[in-house]
Amino acid sequence: MGGMVLVLFYGSILFCIITSVGRLIKIARLPLHLKWEFYRDSSVYEQVDWWTKPPVRFWRKAGAMILDVLFLREYFRRNRSFWIYLYLFHVGIYLLILWHAWLFIAGAVVDPDTVSAVGLVWGHTATALAFLGGAGILIKRITDTELSIYYPPVHYIKWVILLLTLLGGFYAVYIYFGDNAVNLFRYVQTQVTFSDLRHKLHPPPATAAHVLFAAFWLVYLPYSHIMRLFLRYYHYLRDDEVPNVRGGAMEKRIGRLLGQPVAWSASHIQTGKSWAEVATTLPPMGKNKPKECG
Amino acid sequence: MKVKAKPLQEVSKGGDRQLIDLKRDDLMPLPHISDGSEDPAIRPLTEKQQDNYEHALDGAAAVQIPKPKTREEEERLVERFLEGVKKLLTKENNWTFLQQLLLTLDNCVRCQTCSEACPIYLASGKQEIYRPTYRAEILRRLVNRYLKKGGKAFATLRGNDVELNWATVARLAESAYRCTMCRRCAMHCPMGSDNGLIAHELRKLFSEEMGIAAKELHETGTMQQLRVGASTGISPAAFKDILEFMEDDIEEKIGRRIKIPIDKKGADILLIHNSGEYLSWLENPAAFAIIFDAAGVSWTLSSELYGYEGTNYGLWYDDVQFGRISLKHIEIANKLKVRKIMIGECGHSTKASVIISDRILTGDANIPRESCLPLLEAIVLGGKLKLDPDRNTFPVTLHDPCNMVRLMGIIEPQRRILRAIAPKFREMEPHGPDNYCCGGGSGFAVMQGMNFPDWKMNVAGRMKVKQIMEAFSDTVGDPSIPKYVCAPCSNCKGQLRDLLNHYHLTEQFGIYYGGLVELIVNAMVDTKKPYVNFEEM
Repeated sequence: MGGMVLVLFYGSILFCIITSVGRLIKIARLPLHLKWEFYRDSSVYEQVDWWTKPPVRFWRKAGAMILDVLFLREYFRRNRSFWIYLYLFHVGIYLLILWHAWLFIAGAVVDPDTVSAVGLVWGHTATALAFLGGAGILIKRITDTELSIYYPPVHYIKWVILLLTLLGGFYAVYIYFGDNAVNLFRYVQTQVTFSDLRHKLHPPPATAAHVLFAAFWLVYLPYSHIMRLFLRYYHYLRDDEVPNVRGGAMEKRIGRLLGQPVAWSASHIQTGKSWAEVATTLPPMGKNKPKECG
Repeated sequence: MKVKAKPLQEVSKGGDRQLIDLKRDDLMPLPHISDGSEDPAIRPLTEKQQDNYEHALDGAAAVQIPKPKTREEEERLVERFLEGVKKLLTKENNWTFLQQLLLTLDNCVRCQTCSEACPIYLASGKQEIYRPTYRAEILRRLVNRYLKKGGKAFATLRGNDVELNWATVARLAESAYRCTMCRRCAMHCPMGSDNGLIAHELRKLFSEEMGIAAKELHETGTMQQLRVGASTGISPAAFKDILEFMEDDIEEKIGRRIKIPIDKKGADILLIHNSGEYLSWLENPAAFAIIFDAAGVSWTLSSELYGYEGTNYGLWYDDVQFGRISLKHIEIANKLKVRKIMIGECGHSTKASVIISDRILTGDANIPRESCLPLLEAIVLGGKLKLDPDRNTFPVTLHDPCNMVRLMGIIEPQRRILRAIAPKFREMEPHGPDNYCCGGGSGFAVMQGMNFPDWKMNVAGRMKVKQIMEAFSDTVGDPSIPKYVCAPCSNCKGQLRDLLNHYHLTEQFGIYYGGLVELIVNAMVDTKKPYVNFEEM
């Protein structure tokens, strides 16, 4: 059983890495699209001969992205009652990720007997925030018609598992390790340094349960909204507001896309030709051919 | 708002049964206008029309899809629809929008933040079928159920529970024409989903795969444009006649004759208007001629086939048709050896030419293109005209065309002009990138078939009427004070014309509409008569 936990945990890490990389490559290889931005503020198009003016800089786009991700700004502006729970949840999760990173890194390099109990406060606070936010979201999702109307049932299950994961973590630290930082760090140290294989193969139920929950999330991660945010921001940072100038890299990419064959079936489209050929050929018009200027 | 238990699943049920029967009482109330009643907001089709055309979404027939005669025909159409959805999801057939389509299909978390952003949903009294996520969620569930591996396993649990049949397809086709693609919902979406794009993509698959599109956009729109030169049917010869008449008209109005440059090689600017201006609002291209002449701009119009029509309805339903028209404009510009193309007061033409075309143009075809608004601002604020703002003493408000403002970021030039020439200028609320669509977006302004205008007036344009009434709340009680809605966009003007007629806003409240350049010319001190003449409007 313990061996199974071990296989599932490390297997899930491997699965997460391989699947995520595969999906990231797939997203990065998506073709360039037609310009389809929208603007909350004035753009370069407000200027005469706008193509002679500098385009939006990468760092300005990156700055906007970071603020959106960190503070969920659009939810704050447009849907405040939902934002409160989302924000608590996200802050909690961000803090928990940092806490786990600290736990594993410090566990490997720091003497457990010197660890401060403040670290536990950090972990508990993060767990509480994430739990409060997550529970708020779940309750709101169930009770608010606007939020429940198109929400597939499977997503409620996801939230319940997430709350159980948080509870499981809290239980392991607070009950199993007696809320004792030294005990926790000793355990983590044996895990990350592989210094006690017997312990690793036969984990106690509290940590085994938490590890299984973690494995579940690692498997889910490549299909989660985190990956979808990559889809959103990768192309935003790479292509949005990037002008198509003669002889530039963008033009080369466009040239390749214009060579794509078109397979649409409607009668006004010449199936089998390239996009460029179809766009430069008039559709069949029977007797009603264009009358040239006379 | 009470919502049916399973609104999405209803889309595949009941064949001919309308999903809603919208009453006037259901609609969002309007200030100073009382049009609530138990009457239907959309007049029923005639019995013959009901027998022949699909209308089971809300009773309106925007696309006028003939009903299939047999079950086999229905099945064939459903198969073609599914084939079209597959093509939408391939980079070969849909590189133009694949990325954003996948983003929208994958990223929506069903928070419904977009619902409160949609003027159609709000104006309809929050009818579920007009919720911005409604058609997107149906498409998403169809893709998940029918095109993804194992899509039917645990279908209800995973939400893959919309059945695909002819009723679903027919209602989706109509639903794609209940969104103006103003993309206010997209701007409000915290996750980057774009439900306006879903309407676009559905229209595209219906057109490019099944040959189904609104007649006014395809047959009498892009096809007519490619056949005779303009979607209005104006031929090159007729265009030259119109310009002669326009020169006479200008002389009568300003007391001097202007020679309008036509097909002038080597001009700095090729100016292309929406050809609807020449038929319905000749004073608009005439005002451009007066301003450019007075400011000494090097410009020309083109009388060549395709050169005098800026519209590009392909933008709203068919990428291939869009590309064809866009490339024709480029050909004309290159032939005339102009430095740049400038689009007149037409939102969708400007966006199509400046923005959307950007990524289909390579080499010599990549000729610069820009909106007219920055140059107009430079002329007005640069002191190139003698202007007297006191000639525009009436209240003026500004309608922001979505295509130029939210979708291009051209927000301030038109405002700076109005602040300089119209002392009683006031904003609508909300305005700028947060504006509401006039209700004529995505082709609705020209779609007049069967009972669709009822929907367009009572639902799509309702929010704009509310905004206009509120903007003029200080003088709306006195119809003798003329009030001017400035709309620098041909399609918006078409919709405003119809809205003003439908709600009797001119007779009852003294509300008129027009473009921006007319106000500029009206403020020019060297014109004899007022250019904006409310008695003639």
